[in-house]
Amino acid sequence: MADTTRTDAHSEDYGTELKNQQSAAAIENRLRQRSMDTRTSVKLGENVARWVITVGGLLVIVAVLGIMVFLFRVVMPMLAGGEELGSVRHQLATDQDVIWINGDEFQTLGSVVGTEGRVITFHVPTGTEVSREEFDFEGATVTAVSGTLARDRVAFGFDDGTVRFATIGFDSQSTSRRNMPPGLTELDERDRMLDGRVFTEVGTGDFRTLSAVSELGPSEQISEFPIVAIDYRVGGTRERPVLAFATVDSEGAVRVSRSRVQLNMMTGEETVTTTTVEAPPLPLEDGVSVTAVLLSGNADRAVVGADNGFVYRYDLRNFDDPQLAERRRVGDEGVAVTAMTFLSGEESLVVGSEDGSIRVYFRLQTGTDETTDGRELVRARTHASMPAAVVDLSEAQRHKEFVAVDAEGNVWVIHSTSDQVLFEFARSGDVTTESSAMIFPRSNGVMLVSQGGEMEAWQYRNRHPEVTLGVLFGRIWYEGYDEPTFVWQSTAAVDTAEPKYSLVPLVFGTLKAAFYAMIFAAPIALMAAVYTSEFVHRGVRATVKPVMEMMEALPTVVLGFIAALVLAPFVEEWIAAVLLGFIAVPTGLMIGAFAWQMLPARIVLRYDGMPKFLLMGLSIVVTAWIAYNLGPLFEDVLFDGSFRAWTTGRIGTGTPFMFIILLPLSYMAVAWGFRRSMGAAFSAKMRTLERHVAGRLDALRWLALFFAALALSYTVASFLTLIGYDPRGGFVDSYQQRNALVVGFVMAFAVIPNIYTLTEDALNSVPPHLRAGSLATGATPWQTAMWVVLPTAASGVFSAMMMGFGRAVGETMIVVMAAGNTPIMEWNIFSGLRTLSANIAIELPEAVKDSTNYRVLFLAALTLFLMTFFINTLAELVRQRFRKRAFQL
Amino acid sequence: MTDIIDPKAPASGASAPIATAAREAVEESRPQGRRVRVLSADLSAVGEPALWAFGGALALGIILIAAFLAMVAWNGFSTFWPKPIAQVELRDGTLLAGEPTRHNRFRPGDNVLATLDDEQRAFVEANDGFSDRTLYKTANYDLYGDDFRWVADFEVAEVTYPEDFHLFQRQQWGDFVGRVAGLVIDGEPREFDYRLMQREQSAARARFNEIRRIEQREIGALNHRIERERLAIRRAELRHGADSETAQRLIAEAQANIAAHQEEFAELQARVNEIREIDRRYRVTLEEIDGRTVDTELSQIVRFYPANALSFLDKLGIYVSRWWEFLSTEPREANTQGGVLPAIFGTVAMTMLMVVFVAPFGVITALYLREYAKQGRLTSIVRISVNNLAGVPSIVYGVFGLGFFAYTMGGSIDQLFFPEALPNPTFGKGGILWASLTLALLTVPVVIVASEEALSAVPRSMREGSLACGASKWQTIRYVVLPKALPGIMTGMILAMARGAGEVAPLMLVGVVKLAPALPVDGFFPFIHLDRSFMHLGFHIFDVGFQSRNSEAGKPMVFVTTLLLLILIVTMNASAIFIRNRLKKKYAGGHF
Repeated sequence: MADTTRTDAHSEDYGTELKNQQSAAAIENRLRQRSMDTRTSVKLGENVARWVITVGGLLVIVAVLGIMVFLFRVVMPMLAGGEELGSVRHQLATDQDVIWINGDEFQTLGSVVGTEGRVITFHVPTGTEVSREEFDFEGATVTAVSGTLARDRVAFGFDDGTVRFATIGFDSQSTSRRNMPPGLTELDERDRMLDGRVFTEVGTGDFRTLSAVSELGPSEQISEFPIVAIDYRVGGTRERPVLAFATVDSEGAVRVSRSRVQLNMMTGEETVTTTTVEAPPLPLEDGVSVTAVLLSGNADRAVVGADNGFVYRYDLRNFDDPQLAERRRVGDEGVAVTAMTFLSGEESLVVGSEDGSIRVYFRLQTGTDETTDGRELVRARTHASMPAAVVDLSEAQRHKEFVAVDAEGNVWVIHSTSDQVLFEFARSGDVTTESSAMIFPRSNGVMLVSQGGEMEAWQYRNRHPEVTLGVLFGRIWYEGYDEPTFVWQSTAAVDTAEPKYSLVPLVFGTLKAAFYAMIFAAPIALMAAVYTSEFVHRGVRATVKPVMEMMEALPTVVLGFIAALVLAPFVEEWIAAVLLGFIAVPTGLMIGAFAWQMLPARIVLRYDGMPKFLLMGLSIVVTAWIAYNLGPLFEDVLFDGSFRAWTTGRIGTGTPFMFIILLPLSYMAVAWGFRRSMGAAFSAKMRTLERHVAGRLDALRWLALFFAALALSYTVASFLTLIGYDPRGGFVDSYQQRNALVVGFVMAFAVIPNIYTLTEDALNSVPPHLRAGSLATGATPWQTAMWVVLPTAASGVFSAMMMGFGRAVGETMIVVMAAGNTPIMEWNIFSGLRTLSANIAIELPEAVKDSTNYRVLFLAALTLFLMTFFINTLAELVRQRFRKRAFQL
Repeated sequence: MTDIIDPKAPASGASAPIATAAREAVEESRPQGRRVRVLSADLSAVGEPALWAFGGALALGIILIAAFLAMVAWNGFSTFWPKPIAQVELRDGTLLAGEPTRHNRFRPGDNVLATLDDEQRAFVEANDGFSDRTLYKTANYDLYGDDFRWVADFEVAEVTYPEDFHLFQRQQWGDFVGRVAGLVIDGEPREFDYRLMQREQSAARARFNEIRRIEQREIGALNHRIERERLAIRRAELRHGADSETAQRLIAEAQANIAAHQEEFAELQARVNEIREIDRRYRVTLEEIDGRTVDTELSQIVRFYPANALSFLDKLGIYVSRWWEFLSTEPREANTQGGVLPAIFGTVAMTMLMVVFVAPFGVITALYLREYAKQGRLTSIVRISVNNLAGVPSIVYGVFGLGFFAYTMGGSIDQLFFPEALPNPTFGKGGILWASLTLALLTVPVVIVASEEALSAVPRSMREGSLACGASKWQTIRYVVLPKALPGIMTGMILAMARGAGEVAPLMLVGVVKLAPALPVDGFFPFIHLDRSFMHLGFHIFDVGFQSRNSEAGKPMVFVTTLLLLILIVTMNASAIFIRNRLKKKYAGGHF
């Protein structure tokens, strides 16, 4: 490199010198006839070329930075907060205390219900009354009200102990421009109104027509006492819905009714069967009153909250025999439960208390004796506390989101999974009056109407409420899980499931795959490179190296296919033989080496080179064949006949596996001990012998050491078992067909050529005079390689390893095909994994543009990019330093 | 590698014990005078075991490559060779017929052993609890619900190869193994005759291909025109407003055209129906080994042969014709049968397009690094960037390609130039253009590195000569350096193509599909459709191997596709390496 610089500089000088000479008078005289000026076109071309090439060259930097910046730009909106889009406030002419509100998904219409049955539908942005209807409650006063998740079906409880059901919803239709009726009243620049219908122009030129739908059902007598709390749910399937409601009267009696609607396919008739049961009475002390009741959609459990700070859970799975399953205090002693709601999906119970705290409980199977069904309510999350008592909680229909209102008029929108307060609004006007709040169905606005008919609505936008850095990289306690964990599960079968976006299992999988790949790849590639560079003939190297380079270009999809459809089933069937092979092949090579040492020098000299190398290959093939044949015997002796059964931990002990794992370590220990104790004496003795005799002695030494190592390894393994250590459950566990062993092995196959070529290049660039010097002073080639060449090339070798690691981290197709794609976090070499790259390849084609999943996958790509960027930059810096040093030597 | 170690030349002082030992050895040897050249040595200085480990690693690598290539080659080349059909009678009396596909050894589980009779158990025990088994391709998926069956040796009573068994490759439902039970030619039942059936079958296939041609070419062209008119209506509405007179006129015109096209369409459809009518009069009844029959039109049979009555030449003929079918036809049966022509075409087209982008970018950067830049911090950063481009996982390029090229750039193009097709994206989705741009980004380091090498191999004397003659720097590069470096740069291109052709992961995000409805190049204006998605050999492997109903049934196809891809890539690489080596030789003493 340095040379070229000099050339360039030199040539430029040359140019200017030439010009100087041109200006010299003598030459001018001599060449008067011809103009010596450079033509303009040449100069122009020169400049254009210089600019184009410089800009083009720097474009590489732009490309790298551009990729990084673009990925960042896609990811950033996900971590940004939401934005408030404005609010409206209007006074509605209700004349009655408002007890129930509803709003449509476009935030166009709202409905309020008064205590005596007046339903007013109004235009949300302007507060204009659109239509009104009077429900005839026959003189009774509403004392409790509840609605389903979609809010269009409402149940009222009355002071005379009756309940009534009503529909208060919205109807949306599309009207084309041609069919628009005349005589519309303008509401605002977007909406027009006529006869209780509101027309909104939508992008395609058609109009969306919205109108209120309301209907009141007949009354049903439930109790003799006023109803104080009620909950109403719709569950079951679409074809066979289950309507259920629970009531608590002023005496504390809890009743649950369930109606099954059966549709007769032939006649289209609906038959409704309603059953009502009275649950065991609440064990309430005097002066304690019930504040809320909740029922699950399938009517299999009910939860009652009281102002003594307790919640009571009923087990209704056997509907004819309801059980009071659990009584649990939430929050501090005597702090009343003031509001409760289920989040969509009914897995999480949100409890708001008098002191402003908001807690989320899961019903988990803990096997406890304290409850009748072995499950209990466990506090999973504690959200930020509100300044005053929580008076109202209302859940969103689509996300795990809810709105909480406190006694001081604070209105908070909270996302439960990501545990963040998305928005903090505040009521204006008289904040002490009671109010009802709701989140609009698309989770993009909150409406609140006070008892006096004062309506306030806030509009907001938050596209990615479920993702925070904590969600991405921390432990989150998800619904249905026993404890906070790292989970990746971006999509699920049901809509109400929580998306789980922890990148940790994916990063873990990436590192696990790369780790096992490097275990195979690093030693093989390094040793092969050293051998090629230092010990084989130039001619052999000229053929071996291109072969390895060719391997580098093998499409990984091919490797993945072989791994998954050929290798994985084979390894599964012959796992014991494969394990044996890991011991047998190195042992076979050692036997070969010691046998070679025993040969007389004449033969050794003659057949050194290609024949010896072929012998090495032969030894590998033979030992692999032996391992294949002895595999079953090996399995019988060590693993009770079935390795796969052994890994599950049901049979045998951990000894045999630890014995194998510890074998190399024990050999090293034994060899080290031998060298420390009698190494010198042994060398001296060897020196006095003739070569083949010395070889025999050395082989004996090795055999002795080998058996000593076997014994030591087995002793240590037995000892470990004795003290209770079992590798199963750790890095060995139950066997899956597509596992890290297969992936590691095949990925090593993909990475080896990379490391090999780079290492070989590094070793090759060690100046030959160092080698010559070392050999000239009498060192053997082996000593030269180990103590001169390798240390000099160490940084280059290190950089090669890093680059190999970088490649393993980003490898996609092999992992997609052979790794089983289970995002689990265990080091078990026999289990599958899912890497960042595989995850992207699997999920991104399905992800909707700009959705949360899309952005999280871009974040996965960014993570991958930054990981490899770091590794590669480090490797390149080390390499540049190494090259500079190698030139100086 | 010499093993004669003169005791006078002790091992270098690598470690203390060796050094002391060596010194002792030297001292001992001194008084012995002429007996100095004893062939003894400290064997540890030679490091024989370590050498074997090192050499073993290299040998292992080579063995693995060889085994891998051999396996792919064997499986790939043997797939299309017609195999005999074995009729296997099991000990329990069941009969089955199929092509033996592969053998292996297995260890029957205890639950299997429990069901065996004594004789069988003795057989297994005599083999140390093992048995061999054979996988038979029984085919007849429509009758059996499966294509394959394992048969263990201890189950088999007798294996025969009856001559009247045929293998039928069908247009649908995969292969059929069985006999011909009845033949209907032009509505009349006829006696089975191989020659007759063969003649009629090729006639039926000709009819079938005629229908295909009409449907694909002519009806396809019509559909294309109708779609164009529909877009014209939309464009008129958007440009002139739906109610304007111009728009109304244009719309009326387009609608008239559509009506005309639809008439043509009806005519073509009638022709197709006519041929179909004839087709139905030529039928064949196939009978499987248990006597169940399947009745099908003769035109549905792609190929058939009496597997057990073939001469070597017959087999060779079938082998060649199956290879030809593979290379020249479209896939069928969810890609597990038929050919891969669209995939070959897609791979080649994408790679070629990629080279168009990658070549100037790579060469310019190399020129910058070698000829223009002052070596310093900036070039160091450029080199780090190049290295990073080479090291960034390919899937990240796919993500970038999807987000930036397809959605951002493509989305803008759609809005500017194809508003009438919205919300259906034209360029705003994966397509061959974006795929090749993405891969160009991915392979540019290969070209840069190779071009740099090529530029640096041009002897300095040539440059100096040119400059001395008065050529400017660019002129020198243009007329002296680049022509000299061209073969090296070409090597880089070939390597980049090999890399690009084998890459699959990013393509999965930017436009590769399992079955492309149309090739990116066809007879309709503008002939080259850069927005279309395409098929790719690498993705074909992934798709057939992992996403088809039965991976075992797709396996032969995967192996053949793998072989094809490998041949493609190995050829490219080998030629690149060959060119490079020749260049090295040429420039070894390249100063003049």
